[in-house]
Amino acid sequence: MATPVSVLRLPKGPDPNSRGFDPNSPRFVALCRTSISTSAAEADAKELQREQRARSALRERFLRCLLTMTNKKVQFHMHEKVDVEATFGASDIDVLNFQVSDLHTPIGVQKEALIRCQDVISFTFDM
Amino acid sequence: MAMRQTPLTCSGHTRPVVDLAFSGITPFGYFLISACKDGKPMLRQGDTGDWIGTFLGHKGAVWGATLNTDATKAATAAADFTAKVWDAVSGDEVLSLAHKHIVKSVNFTQDSNCLLTAGNDKLLRIYDLSQPEAPSQEIAGHSAAIKKALWCNNDKQILSAADDKTIRLWDRSSMQEVKMLTFETSVSSMEYMADGELLVITYGKTIAFYNALSLELIKTVEAPAPINSASLHPEKDFFVAGGEDFKLYKFDYSTKEELESYKGHFGPVHCVRFSPDGELYASGSEDGTLRLWQTAVGKTYGLWKCVLPEDLATENSEQLYSSTPEIKA
Repeated sequence: MATPVSVLRLPKGPDPNSRGFDPNSPRFVALCRTSISTSAAEADAKELQREQRARSALRERFLRCLLTMTNKKVQFHMHEKVDVEATFGASDIDVLNFQVSDLHTPIGVQKEALIRCQDVISFTFDM
Repeated sequence: MAMRQTPLTCSGHTRPVVDLAFSGITPFGYFLISACKDGKPMLRQGDTGDWIGTFLGHKGAVWGATLNTDATKAATAAADFTAKVWDAVSGDEVLSLAHKHIVKSVNFTQDSNCLLTAGNDKLLRIYDLSQPEAPSQEIAGHSAAIKKALWCNNDKQILSAADDKTIRLWDRSSMQEVKMLTFETSVSSMEYMADGELLVITYGKTIAFYNALSLELIKTVEAPAPINSASLHPEKDFFVAGGEDFKLYKFDYSTKEELESYKGHFGPVHCVRFSPDGELYASGSEDGTLRLWQTAVGKTYGLWKCVLPEDLATENSEQLYSSTPEIKA
């Protein structure tokens, strides 16, 4: 009696809410011309494209960094020569505040705290 | 150990699927477009059948659909009297070409610069896509609705099949008819293979193979039921056919022997095409589905996974699905 061939999953069907053509798919990103306008009005089109690509790459890296940092111990180097360590929780959508736990300060450990992003110069953590 | 074919069903269309076409092999794999009477042609990833997007815009049944070689452009022919050209990456409609009747067939030249259309107005039209405002070149001759029109011989000639029971070969530069084949009955489908200059034609229960340049008959094969579409494997060792008895048939091209037949569709099969790498073939049916079938049953490819008998017994972290066995006729 022959065995039916196994299948990893069924083909994905259409999304009822959209017409598809995912703008985040590798093919779209590679082949579709960018429609984002940049601030530098005088620069030539090629330069603008390069700049925009670089901006996208950096932005993506930053967002991945935030994801990787979750629940890890992070050292924040801040203004006024303040260096503190805390366990990173999350960032708000506009990257204005970081939610942290066990914030070690010179006057004690704060169980839960919000760090104002504009006060942060840099941060480091071990991956 | 014998393996049974597990077809992959691609759902999404709500009405019969009447035409389908594959792109060439691109750096992102290959793609499949399906034409449906629901007016919403769909683009899918060719090796998995995963839906990528739906081309929205037609106001009537879509009778023909095609992709250019690198799958950056799509073209569709519809009952709303238009042929449309689409950006196949973003899904946007790029061009709408008005016709005087239902459009049945669309085909790009290899460089994607020209589009050939044909339909119920009995004319072949050639559009220069770099000058869409310019009127199309028209070739008249057929005395009934044209079902299919294809570029051939390096885009120097055109092959057309119509309800006047003829297939005609035309010269593009002179716009003149070069040769004509007459049949007893209307041709149901026509596929052209550039590599080897072969023409695959179906009519009644017959699948016929012709030399595309001379229109000389090479061979004919009879199937057990009326056939609506057939496709020859890129390596020309097999061909597949499907028709009114809902089944898919696989034949040996050299010996003409029927090798396999598969049940699966719940309605007549309207179109069948091999993928550009020959690893699978896709069929479109009156039942509104597309199904993908393996050429080498049991091979690991796309969503199909070869599982050895000893692996079936052990616990596997990966979920493997076995659909209900398809009965071999």
